[in-house]
Amino acid sequence: MKSGMDYDTLVVEREGPVGWLVFNRPGAANAMDARMMTELEQAWLELDRDPEVRVIVNTGAGDAFQTGLDVSQLSREPDALREQSRRTKRFELRLTAWHNNVTKPVIAAVNGVCAGGGLHFVADADIVIASANASFLDPHVSVGQASVYETIALAKKSPMEAVLRMALAGRHERVSAARAYELGIVGQVVDPPEQLRAEAQALGEKIAQNPPDVLAATKRALWNAMETP
Amino acid sequence: MTYPQLETLRLERVGPVGWLFNNRPDQLNAMNARMRDEFELAWRALDDDPEVRVIVHTGEGRAFQTGVDVTEIASDGAGMERYRESVENFDFHFTAWHNEVWKPVITAVNGICAGGGFHWIADSDIVLAASDAQFFDPHVSIGQVVSIEAIGLMKRMPVEAVMRMAFVGRHERMPAARAYELGMVSEVVDPPDRLRAAAQELAEKIARNSPAAMAATKRALWGALELGLTDACRAGARELVSMWGHPDQEEGPRAFAEKREPRWQPLGDPTP
Repeated sequence: MKSGMDYDTLVVEREGPVGWLVFNRPGAANAMDARMMTELEQAWLELDRDPEVRVIVNTGAGDAFQTGLDVSQLSREPDALREQSRRTKRFELRLTAWHNNVTKPVIAAVNGVCAGGGLHFVADADIVIASANASFLDPHVSVGQASVYETIALAKKSPMEAVLRMALAGRHERVSAARAYELGIVGQVVDPPEQLRAEAQALGEKIAQNPPDVLAATKRALWNAMETP
Repeated sequence: MTYPQLETLRLERVGPVGWLFNNRPDQLNAMNARMRDEFELAWRALDDDPEVRVIVHTGEGRAFQTGVDVTEIASDGAGMERYRESVENFDFHFTAWHNEVWKPVITAVNGICAGGGFHWIADSDIVLAASDAQFFDPHVSIGQVVSIEAIGLMKRMPVEAVMRMAFVGRHERMPAARAYELGMVSEVVDPPDRLRAAAQELAEKIARNSPAAMAATKRALWGALELGLTDACRAGARELVSMWGHPDQEEGPRAFAEKREPRWQPLGDPTP
């Protein structure tokens, strides 16, 4: 079932108890433009408020999962850029489920390259699965930017050395889906890659068999535990 | 830049890479009082050298590091008492982290890493190991408590593995392959004699990135170990914003568009 709302840069759908939030700028490797950043907040809230949705799956259309800010597009919209800069500076982002205080379980299904700001959606998901051809890299320091929010959250959830290496190697190295699985950054690698959405739906349906209020309380408890050093 | 002449360590620069060698191979690179003092000089020298973009730390001989020199402790009358004040105050200066080195640090474990040797694993950014490297923590087997190095390790890898090493002491060794599985190291180099080449190669890749952006990233990530998630992000915001308006932030995308290597600002240059 399609969303009641209109989205330009996302696809928001329901399939049984599973709500789907799909990045949909495949021509731009799903990079976030100003529009997508606005729509992300609406889409997370829409799915979180819908009582029919028990679990949310986040994936990308096309070859890439998510590649972070679309800097060239943003530079043509000074007002949007200013607003995002303000939010970034104050850490008031509304991009991910965690930023938007989503209470339902969120599965990131990484369907291809996940680069830079795309790592927000891996770090801030509860469960991460990846297609066998997915890869992870953090090019921030190769273009003169610090890598901060994404890698801080990843480092809280994964072995620190791997995160430091990804942050410092920049665009000169990628982490494969297989290594991300070994490190526990992802919990399942799907091969062949075309099976990714089916596997995500199946996992979503399994989780949806559990009581929603118990899932929400558990999610709150576990994320709160990351608020102490 | 001329490096200080040290008795127990050796410094050398190869291209953009500063090398720090533990250099007491006949004592398996155990740290005597002299080495403990020289480490501070060594980290300072490499951190101050503007030609050095990335630091690699390794050992001469068949061991990487085996911690405090027990022979010295047992034979010279002063024993561990000489370190009492610095330990009680946690006032150490022998790792990169103790010395607030914000250049990337790669530790290349060339053989045995035992006991206090874990300080340089826990306090490093990236760790490579030769395929014949071995890890163990004999503290409790010689009546010593292990705390600081193991606490550092627990913050960066699965805790069970650290506890097992701490309690089994000298009666078991962890091979490099297991350290890789656990994410304690990110690369096992085989054959082992290729370790230094592999470390130099990785360091040169990293040296192609913005020194200022890497320093800000390091401060944010190491700072995050001290804080909860939201507080760490708020503190990290300062590091993120520190690059806004920095010349490297313009130079990075421009070099990428022009398909050439970026010309980064050296570290420590005042931001215009």
